[in-house]
Amino acid sequence: MKKSILASLLVAAAVSAPAFAHTLWVVPSHFVLSKTGSWVSADVSAANMTFVADKGIPVDNVALYTPDGKKQAIEHKYQGKRKSQVDAQLNAEGTYKLELGGPARFGTMYKVGDERKRIMADKKTRAKELPANATDVVTSQSRSRSVAFITVNKPSSEVLALKNEGLEFKSSVHPADIVAGEPVTFTFLVNGKAQAGVELEVSYEGERYRDEAGRIQHKTDATGQFTYTPVEAGVFLIEASYSAKAESELADQIREGLTLTLEAALP
Amino acid sequence: MYKYLVAALLFCCGSAMAQQELEIQVELPKIDTGTYHRPYVAVWIENEQQQPVRLVEAWLEKPDWIKDLRRFWRKLGRSEPQLVDAKTGATKGPGSYKVRWDGKDEQGKAVAAGNYVLFVEAAREQGGRNLAKQEFTWDGSAVQIEIKASKELGKIQLTSVQGK
Repeated sequence: MKKSILASLLVAAAVSAPAFAHTLWVVPSHFVLSKTGSWVSADVSAANMTFVADKGIPVDNVALYTPDGKKQAIEHKYQGKRKSQVDAQLNAEGTYKLELGGPARFGTMYKVGDERKRIMADKKTRAKELPANATDVVTSQSRSRSVAFITVNKPSSEVLALKNEGLEFKSSVHPADIVAGEPVTFTFLVNGKAQAGVELEVSYEGERYRDEAGRIQHKTDATGQFTYTPVEAGVFLIEASYSAKAESELADQIREGLTLTLEAALP
Repeated sequence: MYKYLVAALLFCCGSAMAQQELEIQVELPKIDTGTYHRPYVAVWIENEQQQPVRLVEAWLEKPDWIKDLRRFWRKLGRSEPQLVDAKTGATKGPGSYKVRWDGKDEQGKAVAAGNYVLFVEAAREQGGRNLAKQEFTWDGSAVQIEIKASKELGKIQLTSVQGK
């Protein structure tokens, strides 16, 4: 038990530590299915290259939401060395959401001399853990989510509904309607409000076989929007991140990450 | 005088359009391969706004694979299961097949004169997928167009004919 707590703390640290550049993604075997009762398998990994599995991560924080927005237990889970996998049967019609998430976590960065250090503590608890000579103390509240959508027959939008909490998105077309060559406008919101300046990075599968990864960096405009036209059909990733000063008893700043795995269909 | 001319034009072309139908001849090529599965094929008409106007015919089998007709699935299959069921026939092997669009929408109403787009999509298990797309003008004037062959679809001919 102690071991698993330690492991999850380590992962939490890894997820939110800036030095840890790996991106966590969830990539389903299918984004579109034409039969209820179909199975879907999803790979979950923390990796530098988009969709090139690198490190398997605990699957306890992977949740599957049915088209009516309820959680469905995931039948099979496996944590591997390079990737983890979840398998689930999709018995309902509509759009499912697969989400790797978890609660917000707190971390405090500080310096002792020139050395940067980190503890898992919020503003209230940090005092008793910080050494007396700590400087540059900043506590972050971090949350990161990775999501993918799987649509069985007719698309539905319950799982896309905004919760007005943290970093979220909406799109001008349903994820099952993203088509190569057709523009999609994404709006990124923080606590329900469209947010300018959200940092975005778009990447495509197949990076291992290209000299240049061809990633696109962007920021949301004044209305929180970003318009993107997938050039070719395929699976792509949008990593969105946002940080701001926080007026909170628990943290000096908030950091929010949202990673979307999307499919651009053939025209 | 002008008024009469307009009336005459409306009369002539309106009635001609009501009768005119589009014959679509689709060839499914013979494909030499170890394991040949008959392709899934769908034929339908969209308007210029890319909205489906009429499903002409679909040759399908197991629901699992219908999604591989990517555009057909997105435009019609996933949201109009009853319509698709009604228009679905058995998959077909290599050969030449004629299907007909009666110039009407799904409500049975003759469509307004204008430009429309014919789509023929084919996908084969352990094979490829092709989408043939051809715009045509549907205003009572004759249609005679040939779409050149792709791997999964032989040539397709569009010919306006007088309806019964």
